[in-house]
Amino acid sequence: MRPLLRRLLDTPAYVWAALLLTALLLFLAQITRLQGVEGAVVVRDAQVRLAGDPLAQERPVALPHVWDDRHRSWSGEAWYRIGLPAELEPQAMQEPGIGLLLPRVGVRFRVLFNGHELASEGWRRGAGYMDAGVQAQYVPLPASLMRRPWGDNKVEVQLRGQALRISGLSPVWFGPSEALQQRHRWLMWWQVHLTWMVAASGFLLGLLSLLIWAHSGERLFGLLAGGLLVLTLRLTLSAPVFLPGTFGLWDYLHKLAFTFYCGLIYLFMSELFDFRQGLARKVVLVMLLLGPIWLAVQAWTQDYQLYRIWTGVIVLVCVLALAQVMHRARWGLDVNQRLMVVVGLATVGTGLRDFLVVQLGLPGDADIRWMTPGSLVLMFAMGWVLMQRVTRSLEQVGRLNAQLARQVSEREDELHAVFDRLRQAENQRVLETERRRLTRDMHDGLGSQLVQTLNLVRSSGEHIESAAVASMLSHALEELRMTLDSLEPMEGDLPTILGTLRQRMAPALQAARIELDWQVQEVPAVPGLEARNVMHLFRCLQEVFANVVKHAHATRVTVRTWQDGAQVMLSVADNGVGLGWPGRPLREGGRGLGNLRLRASEIGADLRFSDARPGTCVTLVFGLPARAI
Amino acid sequence: MTDTEELPAGVVSPGDTRIYLIEDDHTILQFLQRALLARPAWRLLGHSGSLAHAREHALASQANVFLVDLGLPDGGGEDLLRVLARQQPEAELLVFTVFGEESRLIGALEAGATGYVLKGCSPQELIEAIEQIREGGAPISPLLARLLLKQFRSVQAPGPADTPDETVWLSERETDVLKLVAHGYVNKEIAAKLGIAPATVSTHIKNLYRKLSVHSRVQVVRIAQERGLL
Repeated sequence: MRPLLRRLLDTPAYVWAALLLTALLLFLAQITRLQGVEGAVVVRDAQVRLAGDPLAQERPVALPHVWDDRHRSWSGEAWYRIGLPAELEPQAMQEPGIGLLLPRVGVRFRVLFNGHELASEGWRRGAGYMDAGVQAQYVPLPASLMRRPWGDNKVEVQLRGQALRISGLSPVWFGPSEALQQRHRWLMWWQVHLTWMVAASGFLLGLLSLLIWAHSGERLFGLLAGGLLVLTLRLTLSAPVFLPGTFGLWDYLHKLAFTFYCGLIYLFMSELFDFRQGLARKVVLVMLLLGPIWLAVQAWTQDYQLYRIWTGVIVLVCVLALAQVMHRARWGLDVNQRLMVVVGLATVGTGLRDFLVVQLGLPGDADIRWMTPGSLVLMFAMGWVLMQRVTRSLEQVGRLNAQLARQVSEREDELHAVFDRLRQAENQRVLETERRRLTRDMHDGLGSQLVQTLNLVRSSGEHIESAAVASMLSHALEELRMTLDSLEPMEGDLPTILGTLRQRMAPALQAARIELDWQVQEVPAVPGLEARNVMHLFRCLQEVFANVVKHAHATRVTVRTWQDGAQVMLSVADNGVGLGWPGRPLREGGRGLGNLRLRASEIGADLRFSDARPGTCVTLVFGLPARAI
Repeated sequence: MTDTEELPAGVVSPGDTRIYLIEDDHTILQFLQRALLARPAWRLLGHSGSLAHAREHALASQANVFLVDLGLPDGGGEDLLRVLARQQPEAELLVFTVFGEESRLIGALEAGATGYVLKGCSPQELIEAIEQIREGGAPISPLLARLLLKQFRSVQAPGPADTPDETVWLSERETDVLKLVAHGYVNKEIAAKLGIAPATVSTHIKNLYRKLSVHSRVQVVRIAQERGLL
């Protein structure tokens, strides 16, 4: 069951359409084959006389008859006289009686039976759009008006013409009233109701196309929307018998709508079949531009011949388009194009059938036109193509979205990978910097201390000076502790850094009998005073304290911190012999002052020397960021 | 060490000091024995070289000063400190450390340590450290004070001083003391600045240590309760 369903679904739409259309055409042929109404007689001859022309003689004509007055302007009146068929005499006097059916009659008419007016359409109405020919008319013939003998009964159909609208009379049906009424309803369904249905479908489909066009901006939908909406206008103007307003305006719109319908549908097809260039397209564009003017001239001059020529142009364009499709088909067509070809051929087929039956009298119901259901099918095919297009573009959007999402995720992964690499590199760099610093510190501090101790032990021989070795080792240990202290998270807390250093320096100062005056106050955190810079600060102050102990001959050293505006100050002042310090190296033979300045600049501090009277004051000035002040 | 005040030797009643050493380094044992020569009345009750041995013997000993090394061959000393703090609440628990890294000391203090001694000190300094702690003193460094300030400041809820509340709070005076220590001041200077006796400064610090350990114990209990272990 499933494989069968799948095969059915996989069959292209044009195959389905061809099958369905064949079935539809067969069905149409079946229901519109010429079958007489039981008991009814079709009268195909009449006597006509043009009213208002006293010289004109009554003359016999065959029905259907297009009223051929001199100028084909249909401005006068034409009177048709028709005799009652003899076969109906027996039924005429019995209930429910007989009637007559006028499948097409117009533009305005009235029916007289033995001199009595039985029906009229627009006969007494003044100006306005009027065309009684759009629908069939049924008129009962009352028994009370019947004359004897039967041959004396006369039916007269009087027509009043309208400029620019063909007038005339179709064959007249006489027959039992019930049978003719049924036939009348059947014709009404085809001529009026079906037209309204097609108009409504065209309107909805046109609206849908318009919405899609507004949303997608694809020209194909815009053209289809335009074509279907003007078709809707044309059909809306085709169904009613009467419209208020001037005839000229409605007639102009009616004809213009047909021109635009043909033009826009051709452009739609050319878009669908990718005929972007070409002669036919140019001709159509000229036709669309010229149409309103041509038709306006036709309305102004009231010359129906101009409209005939115009119709010829439209037919020519259609033929050109058809030829182009055939030409194009040699390169192969896609599924949608094949569907349009199939449906287009079927629609042309319906038109051909109408032409053959109505104009050439081939068998068939001439009162029923296949073009109306044909155009409905064409419309549905267009709707199908429309739907296919939308579906395909939605699928494409979905595919593109998925592709985009995949690409974004790939890029994201790549970015993550790059970021991870960068972070690793950064970690590596930080580790490397820290390793170098520690190595340098170990080398300068602990390493040299241990080397000195080792040399001392070696040079001492058997008699090791344990006190000296112990002192050197404890110095080494202190160095190591200082390095470790510098690794503790200090967060730029200058007082705590100084406090930590104090622990290391206090014993040396105590030994030198120098009093330590601690005047450290809370100050804002100094940015950048972390690990490496803490060690630089330690070394700086170590240098300063070492100088105080060794050279200043001081009895007191004061350590102070305070904030001065945007700066944090740290001063170490002694009361020794410091005058002239700046000119003297801080430590003879050592890297002294230069080293101190270098370390100060490393931590971004300004180093200042001043006279403390007595003694010297060394001040380190740290800048603060604006927000910390 | 911050506390550089020199206390007169032998203030503590000599018979009171009973020491137990938990340390795997034998040179430290020798060092301690040598240091104790200066205080013949003090007794070394025992010595454990591993956590397992200490659990068996140290807990049962009558010592009132425990010298605990944090890096024992069979594990960290913090667990042992916790047990000792619970079972020997009157005893002083001194952590024996080479470098006195403050971040590690905080853990030891939370486990119940009441002080610390740096390895590598002289015998004299060791004796002084033990005497100070027996006197009610408490060693502290600026960095340690800073860490404590950060730890305690994070939870600020007023409450009565003796409530073993799970929230750790600092009195105004304790905050002042910690801040001054963090700024590098020594006990004597702090006492002078705040107008209190130097011993009171130590008492404040010792109280802080106790709070830290109580807070830590309460937290352990609470976490255990939350996890359904108690």
